Amino acid sequence: MDDFTLQYVWAYSSRDLDTFYKISSFWGGQKGSLLFWTLLLSIYTVIVHIQNRKRNALVVPYAMVVMMTITTFFLVLLNFSTNPFEVIPVPPEDGRGLNPLLQNYWMVIHPPTLYLGYVGFTVPFAFAMAALICKNLDDSWIRLTRKWTLVSWFFLCMGNLFGAQWAYLELGWGGYWAWDPVENAAFMPLLVATAYLHSVMIQEKKDMMKIWNMSLVLLTFVMTIFGTFITRSGLIQSVHTFDEATLGYYFLAFLGVIIVICVGLILSRLSLLKSNNELDSFLSRESSFLFNNLMLLGIGFATFWGTIFPIISEAVRGVKITVGPPFYNQVNVPIGLALLALIGIGPIIAWRRATWSNLKKNFMKPLLAGLLAAGVLFPFLPLGSRSEIYSYITFVLCVFVMTTILIEFFKGAVARKSLHDEKLPEALASLVWRSKSRYGGYIVHIGVVLIFAGIAGSQSYSAHTEKRIKIGESLKVKEFTFTYERLGFIEENATKTRAIAQVGVYKDGKRVWTGQPEKEFYKGQNQPVSEVDVLSTWRQDLYLILADFGEDESATLKIYVNPMVSWIWMGGWVIAFGTMVSVWPDRLEQRRRLERMKIQSAVFSPAQE
Amino acid sequence: MLIKNRLSKREPNLASPATLRGRRYCSWAFVLLVAFLSVVSVEKAYSSALLADLENALMCTCDDKCGKVLGNCTCDTSDKIRIGFTEQLESGLTVQQIIQEQVAKYGETVLSSPTKTGFNLTAWAMPFVAIVAGGFGIRKIVQTWAGRKKEADASEKDKETTDSKPGKYSNQLQQELDKLDS
Repeated sequence: MDDFTLQYVWAYSSRDLDTFYKISSFWGGQKGSLLFWTLLLSIYTVIVHIQNRKRNALVVPYAMVVMMTITTFFLVLLNFSTNPFEVIPVPPEDGRGLNPLLQNYWMVIHPPTLYLGYVGFTVPFAFAMAALICKNLDDSWIRLTRKWTLVSWFFLCMGNLFGAQWAYLELGWGGYWAWDPVENAAFMPLLVATAYLHSVMIQEKKDMMKIWNMSLVLLTFVMTIFGTFITRSGLIQSVHTFDEATLGYYFLAFLGVIIVICVGLILSRLSLLKSNNELDSFLSRESSFLFNNLMLLGIGFATFWGTIFPIISEAVRGVKITVGPPFYNQVNVPIGLALLALIGIGPIIAWRRATWSNLKKNFMKPLLAGLLAAGVLFPFLPLGSRSEIYSYITFVLCVFVMTTILIEFFKGAVARKSLHDEKLPEALASLVWRSKSRYGGYIVHIGVVLIFAGIAGSQSYSAHTEKRIKIGESLKVKEFTFTYERLGFIEENATKTRAIAQVGVYKDGKRVWTGQPEKEFYKGQNQPVSEVDVLSTWRQDLYLILADFGEDESATLKIYVNPMVSWIWMGGWVIAFGTMVSVWPDRLEQRRRLERMKIQSAVFSPAQE
Repeated sequence: MLIKNRLSKREPNLASPATLRGRRYCSWAFVLLVAFLSVVSVEKAYSSALLADLENALMCTCDDKCGKVLGNCTCDTSDKIRIGFTEQLESGLTVQQIIQEQVAKYGETVLSSPTKTGFNLTAWAMPFVAIVAGGFGIRKIVQTWAGRKKEADASEKDKETTDSKPGKYSNQLQQELDKLDS
């Protein structure tokens, strides 16, 4: 681990670095992260081979070729452009150490999770390409990659959330999402993959939209490579860009080749991909899924457009401009609200054809719950700014969506209870167990609703103050009084010194918490690192930052009271649980799907011929 | 309570005109003080709201080119910029004037989002144009698909009238499909 003959080890590690961070320094730099990517891709390739060694002989060899071609691209980069095993002729005694900002436990969790998602999408991409190459364009590639897609989606989703949590706890600005180009790069494939996960249900049920689904799965992979291109090109200014971002041309060329091959293959197989697209009615779940796709891709496109607009502006006007959070908040929030509404509408609108009586029956209660929430919240929530109005609408929609989901659970459980003579909790459990894919999806939706509510609460109703105060003085934010009590120093080791402020937090005269925000000083680093202290409850986070201190022990404290942030993290865990339920092996579902396929092929094959 | 009662009892007897005048001055002074303090605090709150607007509208201009919007930046330079902006706001400059001054100094890149004029308008309009176009496209597609289904149903009915057996089977298949879908 301390082999400083290797230039990469010298650049990102040091002898006194915690073992925990020595492991994470593996992906701390560009070379190491590419090696890590290649390692994951190789592991995935081996797993795919083991899974399919005695089956799917038609598609799998092609899929393996695609995966190994991608692996080869990364190996070429590692061997000929950015070698992580470069040797220093005269090895130094010690390394430079890891960037202090990266010395956080989220560094160990966030990048691998994100990479597991990024790299995971290679598998559905490879199978889709294989299906196109060998002209085997039925649903088999979708079935084979269903779990890979779900698991990759899950890792990408959690990777994004872990990144947000890391930013919240480490960067010390009181927020969790800054619409940085690299954050956008991780967010875009997630949106496209989510669109695919929904629209593929229509293909599974009705053998429709083959071209669309194929395009979405290919686009998801293209987006993951686009994200890598941004991080490693240095073309777009970002907090996340690697110091030695020099691989832009390689990734741009790779991106170009992939797009050309994908488009070429789809065009050449267009006649085979054409399906008998028929819809019974405009008012149907199929339509709502199409609109859901539109909203997801709309947010994806707005994010992509904002990310590349500085380059477009420079090319057209010769002026490089910045596209930051105000743009994304103004553009994406209204689209996000429409998407939230569709999360509620989708599950309760009938497949094939929804009649007005059916709509009335299904929508009455959720709509009433939404209206009730609108009435109850109206006197309590300020509506002075656009952000506050958006948050109010979000809360109302959250109640509407949550009601639709809970009604789905309740209706199913009650029906099962009366049919099988079970108790309600037992009926609910077996309902979920017997239809894991469907109810797992609903649980994921609950997680998404929690995230929406958390974002709405924290974006509009947070309060903060920043002031230089002396020991014994207090600051007041919302109903809390923060008293600066003392300043202490700890010399942790030869390279790290911690300055810790103690802040007593009082509510109604009663001490509720003692916060200890820190400032860490690393030898050889110009900028100290802030370590925030947070008391997180379901209602709000008390978020303390020690911004600065003087010789007279006075300190500049930044204090945030951020409501409902924990709802976002909670939503993430609910999504994790829901995905686990969905992915859990389900023999019953497999049998149902097989039966459905048999019937579908009987019904649709004459039309396809 | 006791003190209050005692005071209220004594007040009518002891208050001379001079005392009353003094009290009136004191009250006025108190009112003025409260008004001054509230104006100052409102001014401060107002200026901190304006500073927040500036932090949201401008990027950090540190040498490291951190690429963060000022409100999200925690570097030493950003703290100095904030202090500078607070002083400028207190000297009477408006948010717009400070923004213009920054644009003149650093160029358009210092703004955290594109302006809503000229070519930059495409940045704002394009996502919504795409969604509206996509919405119309979906509507058209769904209508076409639904029309196709109607035609198929109509021809199915015609078939049924000429040949009852296949119609019977396809009905049965349709029912089974319906069952599976529900």
